[in-house]
Amino acid sequence: MRGGCAWLWLLLFPALAQGRLEAGAYLQNGVHPTLEAAWTLEEGEVYLRLQPGRGGLGYLGGLALGPLGYLGYGLQGEVGKGGLGGAVFLEGGAGPLALEGRLSYRPQAAFPLFPEEGLWGRLALRYRLSPKEVAGFFLERGRAEATYALRDGATGTLGAGVAEGPYLVLGFKGEVGEEGEVLDLALRLGRVNRLEGGLYLGEASLLFILSYPWAGSLTLWLGDLGLEAGLRQSPYAWVRYAWRWP
Amino acid sequence: MRLPLLTLFLFLAPALAQSVEEILDRVEKNLAEPWQAVVRGTFQGPSGPEELEARVYAIPKEDLFRMEFLKPASLEGNFTVITAKEVWNYLYLTNQLLISPREKAQVQGLGFSPQAFGDLRALAKEASLRLAGEERLPEGVAWKLLGQTRGNQGFAQVELYVLKADPRPVRFLFRDEGGRVLGDLRVVAFQRARLTPSALKRYPKDAQVVRR
Repeated sequence: MRGGCAWLWLLLFPALAQGRLEAGAYLQNGVHPTLEAAWTLEEGEVYLRLQPGRGGLGYLGGLALGPLGYLGYGLQGEVGKGGLGGAVFLEGGAGPLALEGRLSYRPQAAFPLFPEEGLWGRLALRYRLSPKEVAGFFLERGRAEATYALRDGATGTLGAGVAEGPYLVLGFKGEVGEEGEVLDLALRLGRVNRLEGGLYLGEASLLFILSYPWAGSLTLWLGDLGLEAGLRQSPYAWVRYAWRWP
Repeated sequence: MRLPLLTLFLFLAPALAQSVEEILDRVEKNLAEPWQAVVRGTFQGPSGPEELEARVYAIPKEDLFRMEFLKPASLEGNFTVITAKEVWNYLYLTNQLLISPREKAQVQGLGFSPQAFGDLRALAKEASLRLAGEERLPEGVAWKLLGQTRGNQGFAQVELYVLKADPRPVRFLFRDEGGRVLGDLRVVAFQRARLTPSALKRYPKDAQVVRR
């Protein structure tokens, strides 16, 4: 018995040495607690996502190539209301190419931690045409988009997409301060109407999404405290706090 | 005849070993204050030899180095920061900042460690260096140091040239076990600079930080 405890301790100790715990309350038709936890292992990390009615356990691995690139990959299994679910994903870049791929299935969406419903996939590719130019291609269930980004101090993006009908993509991203503060704006107009923005100041970040037909969210991160409010069929709010160790 | 030669060698060996230590001391003293330079040359990329150009910034007293890549085109915008405890790799295309403990970090993705340009002591820990004479370079007379790595550093041998008049490294040649050149890099546009730790640690605040 003592030997078993020692083994358990040896297994758990490295896992507990570094990690993250994010606890929150999601308010929409009642108050629902949310919990996300991640433990760093010698290679990769194991994470847990829990909310009433659904839970997921996943592994996130990575292959670091120093200054040349990084490739992250992972898989996730879920249990809960409606039945089993799962996801596999791959993201990263090496040299001139970056990619993000995700494939998941769950019988029904469960906000806020498990938002996609049914069989859902996303593929994003970005290729560096020259030091200042990046071409992007994005494919999601029911939507495809192609973009061209040019960096000349700030980065401007122009693109077009199709989602039942065509739409235009315009983007701006640039530094707005001396310490690497960033403003990032993306506007989609046409069949998709959405304005997304982010102001990243380091210790504080402000993010918003506004779309038509009317829906949207406003998120403020102050250090490890996250405050989000929005409209998703009905008004909602989500308060989160993250602890990180060591 | 052999015996006097051996005696001479035994007599000179500690003197030469001492010289490497002296050279490292001189470089350390000469590069104690913040400086910046450009590293230019070729390195062995995944698809063959590639041109490399990078700006290097150093605050040696803080054990802080930053290398900003300008060439090859696929690395432009990427940078590496080396602190006393960590190595940060910023990847422009994915907007990610990968932070690893210094002992775990794979800075050898290029076949050599960018840290070498600013911290010869760290290089000397990875490779046992010996003095192999002097050579006249365009920059002036330089000591030539040869080294063999002690572990898996991404290269097996290093050839290093240190300027005598202004003790600082001016050329690095990294080779693999078979003697194939992995990197041939010159340090140019060297100058003393007013640098701050926050400037060297600067990164886009919207970057996704990944701790490994």
